[in-house]
Parts: sequence; C-alpha cells; structure tokens
Amino acid sequence: MKGTISWKWVVLAISVVALMSVGCAKKQTVKSEGTQAPPAAVGEAPVKEAPPAPAAVAPAMPPAASPGVAVTEEKMSQFDDVRFDFDKSEVKEDGRKTCGVVADYLKKHSQAKMLIEGHCDERGTAEYNMALGERRATAVMTYLVSLGVPKAALSTVSFGKEKPLDPGHDEGAWAKNRRAHFVLK
Amino acid sequence: MKRSIGAAAGAFLLALFLFPSLAFPLLYIDINAPGGKRMPIAVADVVVGPGDPSLSRGIPKILSDDLALTDLFDLVPPTAHIETVTAAHFSGKPLSFPGWKMIGAEAVVIGKVEARGDRLSIEMRLYDATQGTLLVGKRYTGTPGQLRSIVHRFANEIVYTFTGVRGVFGTEIAFTARSGKSRGKELYIVGMDGQDLRKVTDNRSFNLFPRWSPDGQWLAYTSFRTGTPIVYLRNVSSGAEKEVVRFGGSKAPGGFSPDGEWLYAGVSQAGNSDIYRVRVVGGAVEKVVEGWGLEVSPSPSPDGRRIAFVSDRGGSPQIYVKTIGVAGEMRISNGAGYATSPSWSPAGDRIAYTVRSGGRFIVATVAPDGSDSREVASATDGDCEDPSFSPDGRSLVYTYRKRDYSALKIMSSDGRRQRTLVSGLGDVGSPAWSPGR
Repeated sequence: MKGTISWKWVVLAISVVALMSVGCAKKQTVKSEGTQAPPAAVGEAPVKEAPPAPAAVAPAMPPAASPGVAVTEEKMSQFDDVRFDFDKSEVKEDGRKTCGVVADYLKKHSQAKMLIEGHCDERGTAEYNMALGERRATAVMTYLVSLGVPKAALSTVSFGKEKPLDPGHDEGAWAKNRRAHFVLK
Repeated sequence: MKRSIGAAAGAFLLALFLFPSLAFPLLYIDINAPGGKRMPIAVADVVVGPGDPSLSRGIPKILSDDLALTDLFDLVPPTAHIETVTAAHFSGKPLSFPGWKMIGAEAVVIGKVEARGDRLSIEMRLYDATQGTLLVGKRYTGTPGQLRSIVHRFANEIVYTFTGVRGVFGTEIAFTARSGKSRGKELYIVGMDGQDLRKVTDNRSFNLFPRWSPDGQWLAYTSFRTGTPIVYLRNVSSGAEKEVVRFGGSKAPGGFSPDGEWLYAGVSQAGNSDIYRVRVVGGAVEKVVEGWGLEVSPSPSPDGRRIAFVSDRGGSPQIYVKTIGVAGEMRISNGAGYATSPSWSPAGDRIAYTVRSGGRFIVATVAPDGSDSREVASATDGDCEDPSFSPDGRSLVYTYRKRDYSALKIMSSDGRRQRTLVSGLGDVGSPAWSPGR
C-alpha cells in the first residue's frame, strides 16, 4: 500500500514538472506528437478537401520500439493455486490453508520474493477480468500480510483471462483458471 | 487577404445560387427507414489509359463490394450494361441515360484510370440517370498502392451524396488475437471490408485493449512486454511509441476525449481499480471515478462531457454514466446479471454493451438515460461481446465466440444484417473501430 502511494506521488511529481516544462505547449494534442514522417498525399480534384488521406495504405509495420519479453509457459510452482468463485475475490477455506503454507515458507526464507499472479476464467470482458485478477492477487497478498509476511517480500500482477491454465470451456476448466498463482522470484 | 476572402465568399454564394445542391446533400435515401428504398446503381467498366487492363473491372469491383456492404444500393449487374464507356465520355460526350434507365439504373458511376510509372490518376463520376446530371466528380492522384484507398474515398462520396452521411469505407478495426501457438496476444488492424489485415505488434507478450485517438493516427494499448503492464501510445503509421500510463497495477485504456487531449483508463491501485484520465501531453493524472468496487472500461461520450463505465459496486458489474466533474453516477443497465464493455455511439444517442442473459453473453444497446434497452446481437450457440460503433453509427463490430472458434463480426446497429469480418486467427477480441477517414 505504502509503496503504491509513494510511487503515485512520484508519478504526479514527474507529471507536474513535465507539465511546467511544456507549459507553453499545453494546447498540443496527440495530433502534433511523435516522429511520424509526413504522409504522401493522395491527390484529389476538383473539389478541395481537408488534408488528403494518409498515404500509409499498407505500410510495412516497423518493429515494436523495444524487442520485448516473451511470455513463457506458466512457471511451475511448489505451492498450490488459490482458487476463487466466479466473479469473486474472497480467499476461501482451502485457499487460506495454501496461504498458510506459503506464509510459513516466506517467514523461513526471509530473502525470498514472491510474485502473486491473479487469473480469471474466460467468461466476461477482458478489461473487467484484468481488474478482477488484480483484486484476487491483492486479496491473497493482504491475507499473507495478515499472517505476518512482510509486504516487501510480495508483489502482484494480473493476467486477467489471458493465461488460462486449462484451455477448456466448461466449469471444470473455469474453476482451475480462477486462481492466484505463486511464483518465487 | 481580406479582399480575397471576400471574393471567395462571393464566389461561394454565387455557386450556391447557381448550384443549390452544393449547399445540402441530395437526400435520395432515408437511412432512418430500415428496409426503405434502395438506390439502383450501375458501376460501369472503367476506361484504362496506359495501365493494367484488369483495372477496368478491378476498380468497379472494389467500388461495388463497398456499396454492397451497405443496405442502401441495388447493383445493376455488369452483364446488363449496354453502353461502353470511353474516354470521350470524360470530354463532353453525354452518356445514353435512357439506356441506363432502361436496365433499371437510377444512378451511373463511370471512371477513368491512367497509370504512369509510380503515378496513378483516377477520375470518377456519379450521374443521376433520370436527370442526366453529374452529382459528384473527383479526380484523384496517388501511387498504385493507394488504389483501394482512393476507390474507398469515392465510395464514401457516393454514400454522402445519397444520404447526407459520410460512408465508412477505408476505416479500419484494431483488435487482439492470440498469435499461433504462442500464449501471447498481438494487436492487428484490418480494413472494415476485411482486406488489408496486418499485424501491429510482434513481441509475443500480451498486447491488449487497443483504442484509437480521435485523429486515427494513434492507438493506446496495454502491453506486458516488459513484464508488467504499461499503457503505450503507438503511432499507427510510423510505429513510434511513448509510455502514457505507468502507475498502478492492472490497467486498460478506455477511450480518448474528443479533442484527443485526455486518455481515460481503468487503473488498479492496491487491488482496487478506479477510473483516471491522463493528459496525453504532459502526463497529468486526474481521478475521475473512485469507489470500493472495480471501476473499468471508461467510454467517453462524443461531446466529451460524460463517460459510460463499468462498476461492480452493486455486487455485479453494471454500466454507469457520469458527467465529468459532477458528483453522482447513474446506473443504466438493469442491475441483474453481468453487464460490461460500454461503447458510446458517435451521435451520442445510444450505448452498446455486453450483457449476460440466460447463461450467454449478448450485445445490447440502451439510451444514455437507461431507457429503451434493445438486444442487437445474440447467438443460441455462442457468445457475442465487446461492441464498438462505426464512425457513422450505422454498424457495430463485435466478437463472436463458440468454444474454440472465435470471429469478429459486423452488423447494422439495429442488428438486422451481419457478416464475418475476421475468422481463423485464433482467439480474437477487443475490436475498436477507427474514426472516419
């Protein structure tokens, strides 16, 4: 919690400085940004129209700005997943048991860092599931902290419905996919 | 300067006097009358100067395919055409309009193309066959690679001439697809006619939630390529990128303000997602909606004064509308089940969204005050989700999913006509229709 808030202040502070530094260019919009080469025009006559259509009818896409990190298959974990009900983020009885095992491990291994991944089943909208996965991962983190695990040892990330454990389309698969997954970093 | 403006204004007024049709489009087709009269139109073979002879039918084919995507025209088949159009028809020789009328055409399109090296020159004309008058004529120049885009532009002129609303030919849809056997998802763009499919990202990570800037030059999206989610702005032509939202955990852009200055996004902090807006230039952050629930998927209204968004504050995800800067939010979905992914229509009069009904997801539209809810896309054997309006408001693109099969589909916004836009690309999602061109 504390980490998140202080990070946000850093972002705000940077934003304020950035804003001040571009104060005179405030009216700029996304239109005038970037390094885009001026598009070659489609000529049109006789009626003069607003700027001709951009030339890029089928440009070869330049590679992404950075090469990127490939997402690998899910890392095996020595800890069970914590499972959730549909559209819920409460840590249930069996999940609390798993969290107890994880908490004991982290208290014994004080150098260990644990990433908690939040996941959802395939039903519903991707954006909502992304936020729901974050809430699930955070619920597990909060419970681990209540068991005495230092917050600094924990972090969360949500993959929403993007990384199903079981690619099936029935309740059996969905139940496995609604989970918090532990990854030792 | 002043004088030339005055002269121009005078010339314009004179033009209005002489050609009153310049002032207002001719409303031949009432687009608000579903199943109403369709315009019988003939698209003649194009005269090819120097250039590839196959353009003679190729150009009319592109144009006819465009017109056939609307519900507005009946195309008179080329086999029925009885007059061969020649270069002389572009220098004063009249068409035999009674002949075109005889085969049922009330409008005739003729064209002329010349290709010299890397230079393409195309002239297109639309005639009223009854009056024998030129309704609109355009001369285009460009490169051979711009052929389709030029023909789309004239197709938009034709739709505008008959309806008063610009067509959407040449617009594009951005979406996500799982790439092959990779577990990642990449961004793709496809033309609204299903042509010109191309991959935008290629980093085998998760690249999600594409949203167009109002000028159609940029896509905002979330990428996991560094290991944690960050929202980027990507220039669609050049591929240049910049980070725009870094703070918080999970994050998804929802849409831009109409002036392009703000990007709205759902961002989680401490597990709780709220709605923020971030200045595209400068990066200033404002919280727009907060609460104990998950608040996601902000969709700005076309006038920029309100947003529609999703919140589960009432126990399940529902659609709410809020006026920016004013306290209070109104739920507009009915409170039952599961309602997500709002998309505001360009005219501001409808909001399309996904709702769970009888165990299936369907697409519905509703007025922004919550009244007049209508189901527009559903399937007995699968789910219809994630609607996004075309810039003319006449169509919606959405995902259809049935077990391992998924596709993007386009339908008229009243749900009457449907066609498949993309299939066979694996798991596709989050379609976003580009602004008008």
